[in-house]
Amino acid sequence: MVARFIKDDAVAALATAWARDYRLLAPVREGQAVVYRPWARDMHPFLGRPPTASAKQALLPQTENLLSYTYRKDHTDLTKTEVFLAEPVPPEPTVVLGCRPCDARGRKLLDRVFLERGVADPLYAAKRAATLFVTVACERLENTCFCHWTGGGPTSEEGSDVLLFAVAEGYAARAITPAGEKLLATLPEAPTPVSEELAARLAAPVEPGPAPDLRAAPERFLALFDDMDFWMDQSARCLSCGVCTYLCPTCSCFNITDEDRGLAGKRLRTWDTCMSALYTLEGSGHNPRVSRAMRLRNRVGHKFCYHPQEFPNAPENQPEVSCTGCGRCIKSCPVSVDIRRIVLDILEKGDK
Amino acid sequence: MGQNPYMPQIATIVETFDETPDIKTFRVVLQDEAAMRAFHFEPGQVAQLSVFGTGESTFVINSPPTRMDYLQFTVMRVGELTHRLHTLKEGDPVGLRGPLGNHFDYESMKGRDIVFIGGGVGMAPLRTLLLFMLDNRADYGSITLIYGGRTPEHLCYKEELAEWSARGDMRVELTVDNADKNWRHRTGVVPAVLTDLNMSAQNAVAITCGPPIMIRFTIQALAQLGFTDEQIVTTLERRMKCGVGLCGRCNIGDKFVCVDGPVFTQAQLKGLPQEF
Repeated sequence: MVARFIKDDAVAALATAWARDYRLLAPVREGQAVVYRPWARDMHPFLGRPPTASAKQALLPQTENLLSYTYRKDHTDLTKTEVFLAEPVPPEPTVVLGCRPCDARGRKLLDRVFLERGVADPLYAAKRAATLFVTVACERLENTCFCHWTGGGPTSEEGSDVLLFAVAEGYAARAITPAGEKLLATLPEAPTPVSEELAARLAAPVEPGPAPDLRAAPERFLALFDDMDFWMDQSARCLSCGVCTYLCPTCSCFNITDEDRGLAGKRLRTWDTCMSALYTLEGSGHNPRVSRAMRLRNRVGHKFCYHPQEFPNAPENQPEVSCTGCGRCIKSCPVSVDIRRIVLDILEKGDK
Repeated sequence: MGQNPYMPQIATIVETFDETPDIKTFRVVLQDEAAMRAFHFEPGQVAQLSVFGTGESTFVINSPPTRMDYLQFTVMRVGELTHRLHTLKEGDPVGLRGPLGNHFDYESMKGRDIVFIGGGVGMAPLRTLLLFMLDNRADYGSITLIYGGRTPEHLCYKEELAEWSARGDMRVELTVDNADKNWRHRTGVVPAVLTDLNMSAQNAVAITCGPPIMIRFTIQALAQLGFTDEQIVTTLERRMKCGVGLCGRCNIGDKFVCVDGPVFTQAQLKGLPQEF
């Protein structure tokens, strides 16, 4: 496939062109963080390092409308009330610029939940169909990166529509899907030196180092399930803040709440976190996951045991885990809980 | 977009009455008559009731599919949504999403002796199956109901309990923790009554629902009476939001109570991580 070339100083112009046809989410620096913002004039997209939050917000926004309601009182008989419901507004076509291969692979895992588990979620499906991912291939692994544990890699194409490779003076762009091809149609073909640089990079990819064999992870997790000393130890530092789940490209749990404005309002879906005690607290006061240890166990268990059980691979292959190894839960954890350490401990201590 | 699974149908409350000081029963009918005629569910399935502006919560449909004049729900006042529901009156609209979840496997119960063991508001799912069985009485062997509450006034469905006792084709054993001077039935906790009655496990199936502590001791008592794990059926309660297996919170291991449950046999529960 032919590569196109985007000069460094042409990125903003390209974004402006895309923003005419799409809602464009672009990464920008805000303080220490790199966050996605809707495109605005004079914005400077920053592609230099993975954004602080994952790109899942394009498909599963932090807050979205599930329905709207309106009550109507009968003015001649005030005991009578009627209620009317309305569907949410369909999503706009969207381009996400500057996500990373780990984010793009998160799409597949969100698809598992929202399209393949049982009931296909039409709100998610509509966003999924309307959203294109323009991904920046990684030149190196940060010390929190472990995409290679989970079947990904620094140049993985899975889930991306366009893959950008940083080269001298700009980016070599490869379309992965026909929709991505359309996005690149106006760009010039990469000149020979750029093509050669790209070919050399693809021929000698970043060597991510060894990865553990995760095939026994589900079984060993279950072997340790009732070992509360193990889970107390792993969760001793955890603050239940939930940042790990909010920044995760695959965490998909949500809450549903009503926002009431008198006689009208909205039913909203918002991100939720299994790290919160409120997540499972029942009206009676009973809570099946009353301690931090139980909640951390659920987060790790869902990603490395329950997901592979629900979507099994052939036993000789590595399991599909609900984690893309982006490392955000490690990098942003205020108390340095490291899911890699927990998984390695499960593999070691669950083998009895 | 396809069918929005979060979009309720609108129903009207046609009747409400108090069961106990903090439990009310609601009878509702879908406003769309064709949808009401087409509403099909199985005993044990649940639905989400909405009060728009407050939220949504899960309740078992406790009228049986053999009696479709209305859908009945029994609601204990414990949280924000249930407080709000208790303020509603006949004629008020509510949202209804359902049916959701799995159901009692009444086919496999045909020809067997049935023991219902209920506590408090846990009588609601048992009521659905009991009425379904009474409406198909010839399909089942003997039917026994053991039902308990804290005090006589904490029992639900008081008029029906008297009707069922008088029927002659089923046995009703009532018990309370604290009796008053008019109480003519048993006193003591439900599992103790079960043991006292020495219910036979032969060709029987036990269906239990109630507070978690009652269920735990009931299962122990049933095991002592010789009931196997396959002969013990219960329904689980979890906090739920979406009701369609997506929002995540009702998982037990890789199962979701809202789609794989709420009905489980004790054998199925033993195969899950013990986190409920």
